[in-house]
Amino acid sequence: MGRFIVRRLMQMTFVMFAVSILTFLIFNVIPNGDPAVRMAGRQPTETQIEAIRREWGFNDSIFVQYWTTMKKVFTGDLVSYFTQLPVGEEIVKGLPRTMSLAIGAAILWMFVAICFGLYSAVRAGKFADRFLTIIALIGISMPVFWIGALMNHYLGYKLGWFPNGGYVELTKDPIDWAYHLILPWTALAILFIGFYSRVLRSNVLDTINEDYVRTARAKGLTERQIMVRHVLRNSMIPIVTLWGLDFGAVVGGGAILTETVFDLQGVGQYAAEAIGQLDVPPVLATTMFSAFFIVLLNAIVDIVYAYLDPRIRLQ
Amino acid sequence: MATEPATDSTLQGPAAWEQQAEKERVHGLGPWRLGLRRLRRNKVALLFGFLFILLVAACAAAPLWADHVAKTTANANHLSDVIRVDGKDKNVVGLDGVPIGPQWLKADGKFFLGADRNGRDIMVRLLYGGRNSLVIGIIAAIITTVLSIVLGLVAGYFRGPIDAVIRALLDVMWSFPVIILGVALGVALALGGLDIGPIHLAGDSLGIPIFIIGLVYVPYMARPVRGQVLSLREKEFVEAARAQGAGPIRIMFTEVMPNLASTVIVFFTLLIANAILLESALSFLGAGVQPPSPSWGTMIDEGVDRVATAPHLAIVPGVMLVLTVLSLNVFGDGVRDALDPRAKVRLER
Amino acid sequence: MIVIAACGGDDDKSSSSGTGGGGKEGGSITISETSQPDYLDPALSYTVNGWEPLSTVYTGLVAYKRAEGQEGSTLIPGLATELPKVSSDGTTYELTLRDGLKYSDGTPVKASDFERTIQRVLNLESGGSAFYLGIKGADAYVKNGKAEADIPGIETDDAAGTITITLNEPDGTFSNVLAMPFGALVPGDTPFKNLTRNPPPGVGQFKITESVPNRQFVLEKNANFPDLGPDNPPAHLDKITAKIIKSAQRQAQDVISGKLDYMQDPPPADIKPEVKAKYSDRYEEITTASTYYFFMNTRVAPFDNPKVREAVNYGVDKPGLARIFAGEVAPGCSFLPPGMPGFDEALDVDNCPWGNPNEPPDLEKARALIKEAGADGMDVTVYGNNDDPTDKVTEAYADMLTKMGLNAKPKILDGGVYFQTIGNQKTKAQTGFSNWFQDFPHPKNFMFLVDGKSIQETNNQNFGNVDDPEITKGIAELTREPELTDEVTDRWKDLNNKLVERAWIVPYGHRKLATFVSERMDFENCTRFHPVWNNDYTSFCLK
Repeated sequence: MGRFIVRRLMQMTFVMFAVSILTFLIFNVIPNGDPAVRMAGRQPTETQIEAIRREWGFNDSIFVQYWTTMKKVFTGDLVSYFTQLPVGEEIVKGLPRTMSLAIGAAILWMFVAICFGLYSAVRAGKFADRFLTIIALIGISMPVFWIGALMNHYLGYKLGWFPNGGYVELTKDPIDWAYHLILPWTALAILFIGFYSRVLRSNVLDTINEDYVRTARAKGLTERQIMVRHVLRNSMIPIVTLWGLDFGAVVGGGAILTETVFDLQGVGQYAAEAIGQLDVPPVLATTMFSAFFIVLLNAIVDIVYAYLDPRIRLQ
Repeated sequence: MATEPATDSTLQGPAAWEQQAEKERVHGLGPWRLGLRRLRRNKVALLFGFLFILLVAACAAAPLWADHVAKTTANANHLSDVIRVDGKDKNVVGLDGVPIGPQWLKADGKFFLGADRNGRDIMVRLLYGGRNSLVIGIIAAIITTVLSIVLGLVAGYFRGPIDAVIRALLDVMWSFPVIILGVALGVALALGGLDIGPIHLAGDSLGIPIFIIGLVYVPYMARPVRGQVLSLREKEFVEAARAQGAGPIRIMFTEVMPNLASTVIVFFTLLIANAILLESALSFLGAGVQPPSPSWGTMIDEGVDRVATAPHLAIVPGVMLVLTVLSLNVFGDGVRDALDPRAKVRLER
Repeated sequence: MIVIAACGGDDDKSSSSGTGGGGKEGGSITISETSQPDYLDPALSYTVNGWEPLSTVYTGLVAYKRAEGQEGSTLIPGLATELPKVSSDGTTYELTLRDGLKYSDGTPVKASDFERTIQRVLNLESGGSAFYLGIKGADAYVKNGKAEADIPGIETDDAAGTITITLNEPDGTFSNVLAMPFGALVPGDTPFKNLTRNPPPGVGQFKITESVPNRQFVLEKNANFPDLGPDNPPAHLDKITAKIIKSAQRQAQDVISGKLDYMQDPPPADIKPEVKAKYSDRYEEITTASTYYFFMNTRVAPFDNPKVREAVNYGVDKPGLARIFAGEVAPGCSFLPPGMPGFDEALDVDNCPWGNPNEPPDLEKARALIKEAGADGMDVTVYGNNDDPTDKVTEAYADMLTKMGLNAKPKILDGGVYFQTIGNQKTKAQTGFSNWFQDFPHPKNFMFLVDGKSIQETNNQNFGNVDDPEITKGIAELTREPELTDEVTDRWKDLNNKLVERAWIVPYGHRKLATFVSERMDFENCTRFHPVWNNDYTSFCLK
């Protein structure tokens, strides 16, 4: 087990390293992208541009630049080219917002998907099942920023049922916090509800035909008891692991669109803005942050799985 | 590799299907005939498949509408034009920049679905934009499929160090947040264009989003393909071919690949659907199709901040996009149930 | 539209330029900005949304009168006792500091602080350094990179409070340069780094008491603000909390509902019709000293042909472009903008040589000229960036060129690299989008964009490589004039006329900004739109 974990950690380090190199390269090949000239403003002089190059090390070779930038990532000294603000601090400021969005949405989609999936399975083949299937497929067919923008305008502004975007700190006012997040949670969860309820439905249908369920039925347990104690519990294990992976993916970039539409100013929106400004340090840091979450939750899921199923460790 | 344990045991198709399939197999039908027969019975899937064909046909007919009904082109601006509706003159774009809404047939088919901020005919742009969205979706799906099959085959067949390298590559791509990677590449490539060997893609060509979208979905498909190849290479018929002296290339392409067909077909429709969705997300973040060419994604992007004064700008392309993606999803779902109910298909993130 | 805005301005001026007015003293408000100001450090900030707040926190040796319209462009003594005494050769500027000045933290203001202020601008490689490189020895100071090194061109005497600045050559804009926020005094021990998170004290109506980048900053009334005369009065409000809210939609909705008291940007196009219809009693549009224009590269075909340039001037649909800006551009054809000395209102609209900019263009004439020039069907790439609505403007302009007979295609670049790309001669950008907002009210601040002498290989700002011998010579001569006398202003006006008549560029309008405040703000008496600083927070008050 210990060796398995070590191997996963090494793999994580490799992936993060590769991601950072790739990001750095992508932004270094942009034509006319010389940051020194942009930092010098609209009326730059040669003297000034040269001074910037000297100060920020833009004259160094790309390897040296990569090395110094990465050093700064780990010492926390990384600053944006265009606002000179520390990147780490901005990410820390955005983190509670991204987390609030991701955790709330994850709970919501799990809960609703269980209700939909179970009901669908129990009514398999009937009208309710077909109806929920179509609803689920519509859910996975909508761009989140489109439905988010429409919800924000019609439910948030026109009808005034919800706030029109923005974020209130949890510590300041928990109720207002939740109230501001209802629309973003819903918009983000719609896609996953569609997907999870379909997965759960097919898992439940598989489990219902297992021997131990038949045994339970023969023992005379009520349908409700069978459903909750045997079927649901066994159908849930794979879903929970998927849930872990998707949570990592949402924190690591999946929330960009939702954050932007509802103006939550989390890490995702910060990343999107940095890309728009071709501001390399924050792009590099947020990409690594995102990759870290994805890799971390992948690793956790794998380790938990390996713990449950020793066969995997041998692979 | 990272998520195989999770996905492997997740998407089991309904066991009932399996039993049914078993029964039918006994009757001596081949798997393809069987699949077709099941698909034919799935009326909903067929209906949506038909809807998709209709949408494609409509977009293919874009020039007909543009030339004979709207009498304009996708990129022609009508900023200061005035049209006659019900005997009254109306500005195509108001002085405060608010474009005219859907006129249906009141202006002889002009501005059937209204105008955009540049006074361009939304209906014409919708059809031409649909062409772009569909072309991106379909070609990107082909690229993903080809790359995934090649990588999956090579990795799964040769195993060892080649497999390790390919898996590491896929791991890196998998861990790269899809949207950040797409947008970063999109922004960078739109400025500099792209050279792949002898092919040069200009910064504003459709090739750039196609290439990006085709690339980012590779790990999602290559992993399951590799898994399948791993188990196929141990099968008796491969052993037999090897015993007859067939080389690895021959075995891969003539023995193993045909057995991947059902997985590939199932993936393909869903890949198109997801590629269209991803294109819209990239366009929303400014890294998709470059103006003035329309696509549903860029059209939605132009519309989302005008929901109050010109809701048709966001709603019209959005509905088209949802219909297209939905029809592909429902049809793809039906194909999966018919061909390979145990297929593990997962693309969204 | 210009007329209406100007009238509105007159009404307000009469009531709010005097101190006190009808406005209530005290109280606090919450305002919003769409993005974090680039910097909250006077040495570095070089954007409208940075200057609007900073101009109330920091004061230079020279300042502008706090008034609306042309009057607000008047230079007045700031921290100095009077306007600089310029030597007869125009290279030496002498100023004396007022007595007993204190920064907001109570530190006394010293003459030597001025040198530190300029050292910071130069050493931090600020976007504003170019303005101060004309000071003797400044170039060498930047090259050697030592922060504490002396700048020979700045001599100060703390005891007498005198400051003497020597320039390499005469520069008629230098008094304006001294009034820029870059030149606003900060204490002599201010460190050489970006202080956005903890802005240094200054002499101003407000002080910044909190700054959380990308979230909010707080301005509070500065108790140490000295009496700088009636043209630069103290503020009415006690506290202004400025929040960063990225969605302009939400800002406008919140000002309507009263959750916010003021938004820095104009309400977005989507909300504006509602604002204009329902809340016109607290909304006003003002035409700013800015010009939107298309450059035409005179070194590249087909724009090397004067006929083609004329054709484009005839054929551009200016009211159509104004529609894309949701009416936030006042169509006009003068390059020098309204409010700028040398601006000619007749040239801008009624006597525009290319037809009244508020009317549809003369496409027939444009087509004929293009044919005559033999440029029919020629390929043209039109450059623009992806800022909203620049991309739409570029697409519309390309379509207009196509309608004139050229074969134009837009090319939209990322805003981050746009000006660098078109400013690189290698790009050979044929034509495209450009704009300019005044840094200070001096014609040179616009005319350098069409100065033949300012053409460069890279980082070129004269995107069209305009080099009219007469205009280039005129700019050089007039820049040396230390003062904008009526005669000098008339000569600038003449240069602007020539620029427009000879069709070197295609100006199509001047940007309008807006004042939109909540119901509890006193809109009638207390909103002053300053020509340089935009909405003046020191004038704000509650009902």
